[in-house]
Amino acid sequence: MADPATPAVQIEHLTKVFPVPFRKEKVVAVDDLSLRVRPGEVYGLIGPNGSGKSTTMKVLLGLISATAGKASIFGRDSGDTASRGSVGFLPENPYFYKYLTGGETLAFYGKLCGLRRREIRERTAELLALVDLEGARDRRLGGYSKGMLQRIGLAQALVGEPKLVVLDEPTAGVDPAGSRKIRDLVLELKRRGITVILSSHLLTQVQEVCDQVGIIFNGRLVREGELDELISIEDQTELVLKNASPGLLDRIGELVAGEEGAELLHSGHPRTTLERLFLKETSGESEDGSPGR
Amino acid sequence: MTAGGTQAAAERGHKLFSPGRVWAIARNTFTQLVRMKVFYFMLIFSALIIAVNFFFLGWTLEQELKSMKDAAFGAMRIFSAVFAIVGTALLIPKDIEDRTLYTILTKPVPRFEYLLGKLLGVLLLIAVSLAMMAALFFVVLYARQHQIFADELAVLPGEPSGPEREALREAIFSQGVQPRLFLAVVALFLQAAVAAAVALVVSTFASSTLFTIIVSLMVFLIGHAQSLAREVWFPEGVVHSPVARVLAGLVAIAFPDFNLFNVFDGIAVGQEVPDGLMLRLGVLTAFYLTIYMIVSWFVFAKKEL
Amino acid sequence: MPWRRVFAGVGLIGLFGIVRMPVEQGMEEELRAAGFREWSPDISSRDQLGQAGFAGALGGFRSLVALYFDVKAHSARQNKDWVEVEKFRNVTTTLQPRFWKHWDMAAWDMAWNAYAFYRREAERHRDDLEGWKIEKVTMPLYLEKGVDFARRGAKWLPDSYRLLRVVAEIYSQKYEDKCAAADWYLMASQAPDAPAYVYRAYAHHLALCEGSEEKAYEVTSALYHGGGKRTPTLRYDMEALEDHFAGAAARGKTLAELEAAAAAPGAGYRDLAALAMHLLEVAGDLSAATAAYGRLARDPEAPAFYRRKWAFLLARDPERAPAAYRALKGLYVADPDAFRQGDLRQLAELEEELSILPGERFSAPR
Repeated sequence: MADPATPAVQIEHLTKVFPVPFRKEKVVAVDDLSLRVRPGEVYGLIGPNGSGKSTTMKVLLGLISATAGKASIFGRDSGDTASRGSVGFLPENPYFYKYLTGGETLAFYGKLCGLRRREIRERTAELLALVDLEGARDRRLGGYSKGMLQRIGLAQALVGEPKLVVLDEPTAGVDPAGSRKIRDLVLELKRRGITVILSSHLLTQVQEVCDQVGIIFNGRLVREGELDELISIEDQTELVLKNASPGLLDRIGELVAGEEGAELLHSGHPRTTLERLFLKETSGESEDGSPGR
Repeated sequence: MTAGGTQAAAERGHKLFSPGRVWAIARNTFTQLVRMKVFYFMLIFSALIIAVNFFFLGWTLEQELKSMKDAAFGAMRIFSAVFAIVGTALLIPKDIEDRTLYTILTKPVPRFEYLLGKLLGVLLLIAVSLAMMAALFFVVLYARQHQIFADELAVLPGEPSGPEREALREAIFSQGVQPRLFLAVVALFLQAAVAAAVALVVSTFASSTLFTIIVSLMVFLIGHAQSLAREVWFPEGVVHSPVARVLAGLVAIAFPDFNLFNVFDGIAVGQEVPDGLMLRLGVLTAFYLTIYMIVSWFVFAKKEL
Repeated sequence: MPWRRVFAGVGLIGLFGIVRMPVEQGMEEELRAAGFREWSPDISSRDQLGQAGFAGALGGFRSLVALYFDVKAHSARQNKDWVEVEKFRNVTTTLQPRFWKHWDMAAWDMAWNAYAFYRREAERHRDDLEGWKIEKVTMPLYLEKGVDFARRGAKWLPDSYRLLRVVAEIYSQKYEDKCAAADWYLMASQAPDAPAYVYRAYAHHLALCEGSEEKAYEVTSALYHGGGKRTPTLRYDMEALEDHFAGAAARGKTLAELEAAAAAPGAGYRDLAALAMHLLEVAGDLSAATAAYGRLARDPEAPAFYRRKWAFLLARDPERAPAAYRALKGLYVADPDAFRQGDLRQLAELEEELSILPGERFSAPR
């Protein structure tokens, strides 16, 4: 196994400039970006659309070359095909060969990873169970829903037993139940010690699974750090009470008013998130391909 | 996904070139094209063969058999060339468009293997479809030549002598299924293979399927007039202007000579293929494929996806 | 776009182009020499084929374009548009000059189909100038076109009898020029693929060609005695030539001179045949003629048909008719092919005269 000191991903001073045809000025997609991902970590790369998340990932995966700077995976330069041996990638909105079935898709990618026939059989069964698509094994991908495609995509990314998994907007266009399944899968990967890089513009999602977060804007990494550090507001405290009488609330208000420097900012009924409500109401609904459907 | 498994995968190491991966891509390409129902064309081809069979009833026997061959080989030429060009053109730009390419190239697959796999897949498709067309056609032609022979025997006055029967059989069967026709099918395959390689080169720098198809078809057509261009370049008697010579030379250098593969026209009228020519055509095709493969890889290896 | 690599790729293609150019030229020339490239595109063929046809023929679909024009020629023939037929036949023969059937069809369309059409037209316009013009100008013109197609085709296919035979057929059947037809049949018979009947056709036409009877006799008797198949035509020709020579020998000579010649030592059956012919045709002496033919019938040198001839002469004498009939029956059983259609009719009349029972007759026309 790789030396634990070797970062899973190391990006140093990465710059990527795209020339615009017939124009003099160029588009700077990534500007002097550096980041490190430790083995076993779940790293969330967040930022608005067009901020450079996908470009960074493409450089990391050797799909495009860097204008300046470099990227490496477990110490291997990402321009080197061999570096892909330890990576699994799920692109944004992936389409696979829709004429293949789920099982054939995994077998195909397994062969590309150099697996032997028996290994392919085992891996395919294992991964289909993991992403909960056993019932859709012999159906062509043309008939898969968005969420199922995303999950078969994830299984495909895992087929070569990667140590690093890169997920680009894994929940884009997926309904909350599907998105939750994917979140659970990411947590499962984390439990198994696999490093995950995840890009998203949906912050709650990142918040739920990531240990480490980088915020990218206009091609620059503007904030980076532990999730808890980044989002906790040090000078505020939250109290949630049950069955509190108006009298109790008044007394608390008086106590606060009596304290030097303290201030009651807000009081009222807490709201569940819409996502949480939706999930509660639709729980038990399956959106995957159970055979009866 | 245990630590042991990960280790096993890592220990296996990465091969610079793996026939297994290439074959996986080739087979996948073939499966994909097959499941796109491209073989529906076989229905069209069969309909054509049957239609021709009816259409030429009442012609003289040689004409009928020869017309069937002309029509069938014309159709095979069209189908194989269109398959080669459209099939190849559909594959790579579509993989890029659908981002399927990302999932393949982010596996430990060198880009060269991807291109080679795609090309082999298309060649496999061309070979299978040509074999199917040829088999179907030869069966029909064989049946027809026997039927014509029987019909002609029946209308001959009196009881034909042995030599007369032989002469009639010879006259009819010489226009029927002959070993030389298989060479013509092989030549069609070689030609389509070169066309596919051309389309592969074009598709590595073209961004759309349509552009690839149009450019490759143009190359295919211009490639047929190659011998004309070479004649201007190698003057025999007629002296052409220097500008014309240079232009012709450039055409001769840049475009493959597709007309060279056209041996059917001669075989159809009973000419013998020169000794070893098919072998040399095969070697030439191998060179075309190798060079075009290398050029495709030149461009594709550093392509920004 | 990695332009440096694109340029390197273009360079590699160029280099490959330079290397392969002489190789491909060599293979092309080899194919040309082997008869795979008998059509090469030029400006006039573009006018002839039309834009699409030219592009198709250039694009490797020469056979298909030829087939298309073949079909067009067929439909033009059905519309009796002979100018179009000729045009399309010119195209098919230009595109695939080594396919003999194109030339055959072209010649056939001109010399038979168009010719027959105009003959009917000429009959329709029998009484006016138009009819005269068709007969004197148009019909000969189409014969000429037919012969021309066949001759041009024959040049493309020097190893085949087929188109030479077509030329011969046109001379024989359309021009009624048996001598020219014989010349072409001879050429056709010399082709390596010529069936035996072509040479027999040569012999036949030579026999019909006035003035070449000597040669005809030489050829015909060689065939007759050559051990090959004695076809009815060969027998007729043989007999006609024998008669010709007998008649020629008898011409201008007196009976005495002929008798002397026949009786001279070393005289052949020919001298006797001349005498017999004179007795029968000029002198009208049936019994003397019958006797002379009887001698011929017994002469082992003389052709077998003299036996039949003698028996029929014998049958003219009612008393000897039954014996003659028995002789004829014997001859017929031995060699039925020696009896021509006319002979069989004559035989039937004889059976009628002799009141042979229908069940015992053998003259029923085969």
